[in-house]
Amino acid sequence: MNCRSSIGAKSITSVSITSISIGSMSIKSLALLAALLLPGLLRPDAAQAFDQSKYPNLKGQWLRVGSPRWDDAHAPLTPEYQAIYQANLKDMREGGQGIDPTYTCLSPGMPRIMNAYDPMEVVVTPNTTHILIQHIHDGRRIFTEGRDWPKDEEATFAGYSIGKWIDTKADGHYDLLEVETRNLKGPRVYDSTGLPFHEDNATVIKERIYLDKADANLLHDDITVTDHALTRPFMANKKYSRAPEAQPVWLEAQCADGNHHVLIGKENYYVSEDGYLMPAKKDQAPPDLKYFNKR
Amino acid sequence: MLYRGSIGAISIGAMALTAALGVSGTGAGAFEDSQYPSFNGKWNRAPTPGAPRTPQPVYDPSKGWGKAQGAPLTPEYAALYEANAADQAAGGAGSTLGFTCRTIGMRGIMTLFQPMEVVVLPDTTYILIDRGNIQRRIFTDGREWPKEIEPSFIGYSIGKWIDEGGSGHYNVLEVETRGFRGPRWYDAAGILLHNDNQSVIKERIYLDTADKNLMHEDITVADHALTRPWTVNKIYRRDPSPRPLWTEEVCAEGNPWVAIGKEAYMLSSDGELMPAKKGQAPPDLRYFNQSKK
Repeated sequence: MNCRSSIGAKSITSVSITSISIGSMSIKSLALLAALLLPGLLRPDAAQAFDQSKYPNLKGQWLRVGSPRWDDAHAPLTPEYQAIYQANLKDMREGGQGIDPTYTCLSPGMPRIMNAYDPMEVVVTPNTTHILIQHIHDGRRIFTEGRDWPKDEEATFAGYSIGKWIDTKADGHYDLLEVETRNLKGPRVYDSTGLPFHEDNATVIKERIYLDKADANLLHDDITVTDHALTRPFMANKKYSRAPEAQPVWLEAQCADGNHHVLIGKENYYVSEDGYLMPAKKDQAPPDLKYFNKR
Repeated sequence: MLYRGSIGAISIGAMALTAALGVSGTGAGAFEDSQYPSFNGKWNRAPTPGAPRTPQPVYDPSKGWGKAQGAPLTPEYAALYEANAADQAAGGAGSTLGFTCRTIGMRGIMTLFQPMEVVVLPDTTYILIDRGNIQRRIFTDGREWPKEIEPSFIGYSIGKWIDEGGSGHYNVLEVETRGFRGPRWYDAAGILLHNDNQSVIKERIYLDTADKNLMHEDITVADHALTRPWTVNKIYRRDPSPRPLWTEEVCAEGNPWVAIGKEAYMLSSDGELMPAKKGQAPPDLRYFNQSKK
């Protein structure tokens, strides 16, 4: 097994010798021509060449396979968080939003981002792999250049992700991206059922992202969550299917655009189609208007 | 002058380079970074030297706030702007919907309220801005305009890399953006683009010849709310850190504004609804059972 640092250290020359196969030109003549041309093409301030062929082909538009849910029936919640979860479900049954904060357009955060509510693009560059999803606020950076954990980084919903490309078959091509995510903030839940994370936000999320061996248009993300609301790590395998279109349509999502939910204090209300505030739950009291000059 | 298509993979030089960098039959191929300007990194909005101070970032960074921008507005849109400015002066949000956390769309997003990352790949250049979860794609794969574009606030952008000096390196990204939805504004002052959303926006993005950490963006907007195209030059400064800090900005978090119908209210520190403007009427509570209050 080779990791990124060892493959990354290969020289351009050694790579060219192992992989050239073009027309009738010999390897030597091609390499010589390239050697002659390279100095003229590379500027002093130029970045390194990015050999995309070393990475799995993750290009395109990825669509979620299955529902955007975790297996809440088998979530190993502690008794305390099981009670929080059940109270949340009761509130939802009564018309409330429970503890799911995303109705206010807060980011779903990690690992819920990987539920891929909207299509996903994976943009691989040598130092960072970007996960681009529209939805609410679902962008991620996975740093893969070998950095250490920062000391004083501000906590975020998406967390801080460090990844490592791995060549499991030792064939000169990475086929697995291992990612660890920490430094999260809340509130976060796993999915729309309100399955909760611990409020201490000490969650650690490990992912293994790879293409299916039998189907290169199927992407896997094996996610393992460690969290103080759990009695043991909680795992899920998320799958994404590559859209067949060469030029897929990327739709824009703006959560705030047409969002009828309103949070006032700790109460969520609804704004009707005709623009009036209305209760979200039966017999819900209206907001206190003490700051208005009653006329 | 060379364009991306001609520089592409056609020439012998490019073939040899591709071979030397190790393209295999199974992979995506080598991407020669050095053919493109180094746009990578974190870019912050840079002030235009000598520009007046403004309460918030403005569309034309060389000019002042609001009317001082000198937008060549038609009389109809100048009147709309004046009404918006009067509401803002009274404490309201004006006509902009930024307070609801909705994006102000193209052109306003390139005012860079938050830092921008530019990721250049052969087929697409990505402009990523955390505020509003902006994931702008500029397609540089030579595609034609699609027959039908799903309108969006950021529009549909097609770009073309240009080697203006004939040096074998691209140095300018020319972009055209169409396919908008609205409403959209230039900045928080509330200067509107036309509600027919027929705007056509052209950009030339390039690094300063004397300072590679300074990026220029010449923007020209053609829009039916304007009497002539409006051109400005924006400047962005690259963060010198090799590992810049990317902060997350989720607009909805701690947003004190509340939109109910066409009215903007605010939330007090104790979480209660309060007027945003002097004498503002409270929301109509007709859908509540008032006896429960």
